[in-house]
Amino acid sequence: MKPSLSRARCLGAAWLLTCAASGALAQTVTDVATPATPTAAPTTAPSANTARIGTFKQVQGDAWIGAGTARRAAQPGAGVAVVDRLSTGPQGAATLTLKDGTVLTMGPGTVMDLSQFQFDATTQQGNFLLDLLRGSVRVVTGLLAKVNPELFKVQTPTSVVGVRGTDFIVETQDAR
Amino acid sequence: MTATFALPHRARLGAALAFFFLLSACAPATRITLLPQASGAPSAVVVSNSQGVQVLAQPYAVAEVSRSGSIGLATTTAEAVRERHPQLLGLQPPAPQRFVLQFEPGSSLLTAESQALLVEVIAGAQARAGGEIVITGHTDRQGSLDANDSLSLERAQAVRTLMIERGFAPERIDAVGRGEREPVVATEDEVVEPRNRRAEVLVR
Repeated sequence: MKPSLSRARCLGAAWLLTCAASGALAQTVTDVATPATPTAAPTTAPSANTARIGTFKQVQGDAWIGAGTARRAAQPGAGVAVVDRLSTGPQGAATLTLKDGTVLTMGPGTVMDLSQFQFDATTQQGNFLLDLLRGSVRVVTGLLAKVNPELFKVQTPTSVVGVRGTDFIVETQDAR
Repeated sequence: MTATFALPHRARLGAALAFFFLLSACAPATRITLLPQASGAPSAVVVSNSQGVQVLAQPYAVAEVSRSGSIGLATTTAEAVRERHPQLLGLQPPAPQRFVLQFEPGSSLLTAESQALLVEVIAGAQARAGGEIVITGHTDRQGSLDANDSLSLERAQAVRTLMIERGFAPERIDAVGRGEREPVVATEDEVVEPRNRRAEVLVR
């Protein structure tokens, strides 16, 4: 075996281990913090696409919707639903807008889950929980964080980020 | 044969793993950077875990959370953020465009001017990567809150139908009724005010 190939494989193994560990940890944290009580039912208006909570805008390189073998390539205009796992490749990046106007930009090598999202467009009540498992995400908040700041959270395996109306970046694990 | 081959391989794997964990032990597990708001308004984020709570309230303030959970504070600069996160800064959607559509008095028919504006709205949305249209209907304060919620949604839906007829993808148009919550002209309840009967259109 050539040293370079062997090294690549070793690093690959280490990377997978870390992912598995952080995934498990993220799950634990999510379980603890989950009961962020939804204050409003999603709108039932027939003209609202209730399953669709956001839309991909710019996509650079590889970006995917869904987990494992069920994942599909994210194209500009593609819809995302609550609980979707979104990810980017090592050279990938992508931007999406949620129903309330929140803009999420994913950096390279990112894995994140849209764990909770509820938004009643009439009352502007709802909640949002993003779990960042790996990589980096920029969050420019929209109506949800303005109206319900205490119900808008970004979690990583080691911390929870709450907002007071804003634009910020969260990175976790081997972000670079 | 197998043993002599496996040993150095395993040693290399061990060394690579040790190196990896050494690296990752030094780097913070999570890093949060507060950016300035486009509007210049003050903002903040609160970083918390079982070990404590830290507030970032100045642009370019940084919280670094270690694997053990301790939260340290640091600062960065606009240049350093640009270098570290070129995609996060570069890949932003253009600012949304806003339009206001007016209805003929006492109806859900758009004025001629507003009908002409529809073409511009659709062209704007089609020019964007993953462009979306959000139509928000508004009423004046005549009638009950519930009735105005319904009326404002009906108006928004009527506009949505026009846009679908003009060929825009239905799954990327949302109709929202905000009722009497956001008047452009403040009035007492039950006051008729035609300027408040409108649909606001957001293209993003």
